Amino acid sequence: MIRKYRTVESLRRLECARALRVTDPVLASRLMAMGILPGSLIEMIRPAPFGHAYYIKADGIRLALRKEEAANIVVDS
Amino acid sequence: MKADKRERLPHIALVGNPNSGKSTLFNLLTGLRQKTGNFPGITVELKRGRFQLPNGREVELIDLPGTYSLYPTATDERIVTAVMSNPADTYYPDAIIYVADVTHLEKHLLLLTQLLDLELPTLLVLNMADTAESLGIRVNTSKLSEKLGIPVVLVSSRTGENIDRLLSETEALLSVVPSPEGRFYTLTDQEKGVSNAISLNIGTDVPYRALLLAHHYTWLPGLSEQARQTIGAIVADKHFNSLKHQIEETLYRYDRFTPIVREVVQHPPRFPNTITDRVDAVLTHRWWGPLLFGAIMLLIFQAIYAWSAVPMDFIEDLFAQLSDTIKTYLPEHRLRDLLTEGILAGLSGVLVFVPQIAVLFFLITLLEEVGYMARVVFMFDRLMRRFGMSGRSVVSLISGGACAVPAIMSARTIGNWKERLITILVTPFITCSARIPVYVILIGLVVPPREVLEIFSLQGLTFASMYVFGLIAVLGTGYFLKRMLKTREVSYLAIELPVYRIPHWRNVWLTVWEKVSAFVVEAGKIIMLISLVLWALASFGPGNSFQEAKQRAEEEARAKMLSWEDTQNLIAAYQLEASYAGQIGKVFEPLIRPLGYDWKIGIALFTSLAAREVFTGTLAVLYHLGNAADDITDASENNTKATLRQRMQAERFRDNGQPVYTSATAFSLLVFYALAMQCMSTLAVVRRETASWKWPLLQFTFMTLLAYVAAWLVYNLLA
Repeated sequence: MIRKYRTVESLRRLECARALRVTDPVLASRLMAMGILPGSLIEMIRPAPFGHAYYIKADGIRLALRKEEAANIVVDS
Repeated sequence: MKADKRERLPHIALVGNPNSGKSTLFNLLTGLRQKTGNFPGITVELKRGRFQLPNGREVELIDLPGTYSLYPTATDERIVTAVMSNPADTYYPDAIIYVADVTHLEKHLLLLTQLLDLELPTLLVLNMADTAESLGIRVNTSKLSEKLGIPVVLVSSRTGENIDRLLSETEALLSVVPSPEGRFYTLTDQEKGVSNAISLNIGTDVPYRALLLAHHYTWLPGLSEQARQTIGAIVADKHFNSLKHQIEETLYRYDRFTPIVREVVQHPPRFPNTITDRVDAVLTHRWWGPLLFGAIMLLIFQAIYAWSAVPMDFIEDLFAQLSDTIKTYLPEHRLRDLLTEGILAGLSGVLVFVPQIAVLFFLITLLEEVGYMARVVFMFDRLMRRFGMSGRSVVSLISGGACAVPAIMSARTIGNWKERLITILVTPFITCSARIPVYVILIGLVVPPREVLEIFSLQGLTFASMYVFGLIAVLGTGYFLKRMLKTREVSYLAIELPVYRIPHWRNVWLTVWEKVSAFVVEAGKIIMLISLVLWALASFGPGNSFQEAKQRAEEEARAKMLSWEDTQNLIAAYQLEASYAGQIGKVFEPLIRPLGYDWKIGIALFTSLAAREVFTGTLAVLYHLGNAADDITDASENNTKATLRQRMQAERFRDNGQPVYTSATAFSLLVFYALAMQCMSTLAVVRRETASWKWPLLQFTFMTLLAYVAAWLVYNLLA
């Protein structure tokens, strides 16, 4: 299957991208409150030791996201 | 509205995002003048404290849990919405102090703008002025104040800088009459329709508050059933889509305040926060991260034993001496016994755990203050979710190594109900401090003091494996419950990893103080109560059985020519056998015999309901060591344990004369103590935290059955 868009989950280590939108509305509300907005600069730092979670930076703020949460954030590039 | 008989102090709510330094400010303002209270409807505790304004007026400060918005996802975040949307609430404030981290202002103002729409006098406190200065961040506070229409102060709760300004602004705040001019968000037409309809029916004059009711009416605790139905009907009638409006509203707010922040804050070109990044490269590293976590845990548990042994001995000695003194000076009487064996014994049983609990919470709080715990949550989220919990459960489970009571209370930060419930239900399997004395005596009884591979002691290894056994029970039960419990609620991790900071000692000490008092109050009152009941059950018997028991003991003592002291011990043992507690033990004997226990162990199991460690004390009395605990003079505690061990080795079953404490019985008891729910304080806390009897009862039944079956298996495999 060809991916039409990329998400934070697909970012490689230390890769940056701008957030476009969050697919799941409940999660969107939560992430927006924490400061991940359309246009936020997201940087992938590293995956969690046991996988299934990511250490990211959003506009310089450090956040931990689960795999599903990261897969919900659509990014450009 | 609030018809309080005493003069009501002005209430001020302290609100802000997590990691805004809100708690530090709260501690700075109120110090030890704080207490926790329960919030009805939601099982969350609120911290309240008092401080004095420059004009001498006292105010009550309410520390609301840190949250990002009035659209919450976790239990402790909901409380902010619940309080702020209900003017009839006891905690509803007269004014708000909003705390924001000035170094991340663009992320910390969303909640402030929501609160502005509630039309309360509000003061914006820009915290962490010291950090901002070192980062080269500059803020034009007067311009920000002008743009937002509220007073703004720049402070540092770490250094205390500008706190006097904060106090005088707070004083001025209390005379402010807010106007609708200060509103930040303009409701859309549809929102206005819903808001007006709710205002008309419920009678609130603030449009945004009415809108909040439309968003949250399903769970808000302050609403009557009738109001809930009315709002539900309005929401359905107007086709109000809560989530869509939440998102649009949030975007609108950001669009409005982001330009303001850009205008008033001057950032240097790049954040030089490289220390945190470099530390995290190791601490959250794929291999080093978990390894270092394991090393830190080992150090913590090492520290617990190393640091708490002396104060624990001191507390036990103190109470033993107090009890001795009372016995010397007061005449022999039931009331004297009540004082020494009921009240003092109960008090000692509570306080002896304080050192271990204090040390563990000191270290956990330290890790939390530094910012490490958020990393633990991040690292172990995946692992814990396999067992039905979340990364946040790790903190509760570690705390369970001291005492399950404060550990279960700390599960409140877990947003998802199912994950929180599983954490609450499995935490009591963790080897807590009350199990340790029981393990020590039983392991000493049957495991030879041998070395394995030259360096490990076999007893030490057995002890360590009991910890592992507890952990296996935690994970196994978690896995089982994950399958059993159904929920539609989605769970989130999405957690901020704060910048590493030097711990703030006032915060650390106050948290330790808070946890220890939670234990002393919550567990203490139940341990006390049960100690008194047990004392009564052990000191009275049906009819004149006590008199008869004494006569029998005296006759036997004469026949055997026992010393006075041995005679007294024999009397005590016979009387305990004749007491109600002894009767209960005998009634239960058939039930516990398959596990390898006699009625004396039965009594000890029963008295363990106060706290597990009571096991050893009960057996000491039963085995005619009598008031051995009171005889502690010098280095004799080990002697007492050794004597108890000898007596246990000599103990035979009444009917067939077989030794009671074979290794089969001892291991069966070890397993039983590891798994059984014997702690009534824990059950009481579980009831409070889950707001129902269903879960503590289920937990009790499940754990006890599991313990019974496992102990039976162990006994039969080894016998």
